[in-house]
Amino acid sequence: MGQLSAKPSLITWCIGLIFFILSSFQNAVPASDAQMIIHFRIYVHGEPLELNKLYKNPFGETFQISRLRFYAGGITPVYTDSSIHLTGRTTYHLIDLSDSSSTNLLIPVRAGICHGIQFLLGVDSLDQSRGAQTGALDPALGMFWTWNSGYQTFKIEGYSPSSTQPAHLFAYHIGGFRNPYNTVWKIRINTTDDEEFRITKENKIAVEVPIELDYFFNGQTPLHIRDIPSCTTAGLLAWKISGNFVGSFNGITLFKSP
Amino acid sequence: MKSFRIISGIGFCCALWLNTPFPFVVPKGFPPPIYRFQDNPRTKQGFELGRKLFYDGLLSKDGNFPCSSCHQQFAAFATYEHRLSHGYNNQFSFRNAPGLFNLAWEKEMHWDGGINHIEVQPLAPMLDPHEMSEELNHVIGKLKKDKSYPALFNQVFGSPGINSQRILRALAQFTASLVSADAKYDQVRRGEAHFNTYEQTGYILFQQKCASCHREPLFTDFSYRNTGIALDTTIKDFGRMRITGRKEDSLKFRVPSLRNVFLTFPYGHDGRFTTISEVLEHYNSGILTGPTLDPSLKKGIPISANDRFYLMSFLSTLTDSNFIQNPLYSDPKLKGKIAVPPEDSH
Repeated sequence: MGQLSAKPSLITWCIGLIFFILSSFQNAVPASDAQMIIHFRIYVHGEPLELNKLYKNPFGETFQISRLRFYAGGITPVYTDSSIHLTGRTTYHLIDLSDSSSTNLLIPVRAGICHGIQFLLGVDSLDQSRGAQTGALDPALGMFWTWNSGYQTFKIEGYSPSSTQPAHLFAYHIGGFRNPYNTVWKIRINTTDDEEFRITKENKIAVEVPIELDYFFNGQTPLHIRDIPSCTTAGLLAWKISGNFVGSFNGITLFKSP
Repeated sequence: MKSFRIISGIGFCCALWLNTPFPFVVPKGFPPPIYRFQDNPRTKQGFELGRKLFYDGLLSKDGNFPCSSCHQQFAAFATYEHRLSHGYNNQFSFRNAPGLFNLAWEKEMHWDGGINHIEVQPLAPMLDPHEMSEELNHVIGKLKKDKSYPALFNQVFGSPGINSQRILRALAQFTASLVSADAKYDQVRRGEAHFNTYEQTGYILFQQKCASCHREPLFTDFSYRNTGIALDTTIKDFGRMRITGRKEDSLKFRVPSLRNVFLTFPYGHDGRFTTISEVLEHYNSGILTGPTLDPSLKKGIPISANDRFYLMSFLSTLTDSNFIQNPLYSDPKLKGKIAVPPEDSH
């Protein structure tokens, strides 16, 4: 077995080290000189959603949500000056409604004049295929499909008397990153009337990103829990449901950080 | 974030210096591997940790199903003589366990190509309720409590801690190292041996009739094809379509490598063919037509009884005895001995 008896040489080492140093530069966080606060907020008919509390969806179906999670990657402001670019590997956040440290994020950004924010809902196809990862992309977090490799884009689970599934549970585990049923979306939300705001080193801007679940159920594809109590594989249905979730992101609200 | 990267970078470098490098060497005539060892530099200690994990039942729910329970070295890391493998709680697996070798050249894994990277492959059997039936966080917990693992992970990765990435990277150091490139076929290619006339005749027939899909030197082109087999109505396995959701991919399965084919019986994604003869006869006379049948098989592949004899003579030269007897790949608990097939493995 020739390949197993090869002796390492100093040159192999040096080449390995140079590769490593180069790759660590590539992965470096892009230059940021300011910070921005993002609050993800989930609403049902304009009221903040509480987990495990009963609500009615627009079709009159009673439901409660026990888990709501989604990936947001590469969150950046939309700069009015289009010459400002951020480069480097996308940083992902797993937003989990049960963990307030994940719904309120402090994001490193560049100072500048902006009129919106943008991010990737889900995990980019390149980042879906990088092997074993850590942090937000650790498969131990339960967002990774093991028999059809890939991260789910979002997961909404709960209980509804309308569900025909055992114990009246419903589950939307929405993923798939290959066309034509790609559930990963670029989301760009401008401020109302494209109102501009300035991010400076001194002034942390805070942005609220509201998600209104009424539009998740009553979206482009009406999602009656009675008819569709679960979707747990990639495909046409998952893609349609992902479109509904995208539609539930509305205009952002700005406020200065206290 | 930046300082974290620098610290982890220093840890990474320390890990490299503290361990014995074990560079991966591409066998002569093989293409460049798909797996990037530069992101997970192979060291003797990393390889040994992966090997220990591969043979450890701790990765399964009840301790009885290490990776090696379905991937046995004497069967070129397939399951010896089983159509479907056995898993947790007296259950069968869904498909025939493939041999494990030359995985560093595979872009996708599984009969349906559902796995997109060798590092995440072990998650499928580990978490499948019919196979090892475990949960990732349980495995991490058990490893952390174990007497020997925390120190081994510390040594290999340069800092204390066990997480999913470390487990999976250690396993990949072992599984991506399973190289089978020393069969008689390889020795002939290297000019160290000669085919006899039967083998040579079989080789020519192979190149005419089989090699367009079972492409040398890996003996697969890594494509997914419908080879005209009937749907098993109890398993209802539509192959590649399960992954892509596309009708066009119905009943397509991965072209398997034919290396070590004499050791990996039974054959087919569900192990429906017991012998190589049956497989060859299928191509000769058993192909079912259907909308997704591979165009190259529309008329079948004529294989006479004589052809079959010669083809099998050639295929026998793909058995890599040095691979299945290499103590480097064997269960570390056997201390250099090699496991042999049980007389009754049921």
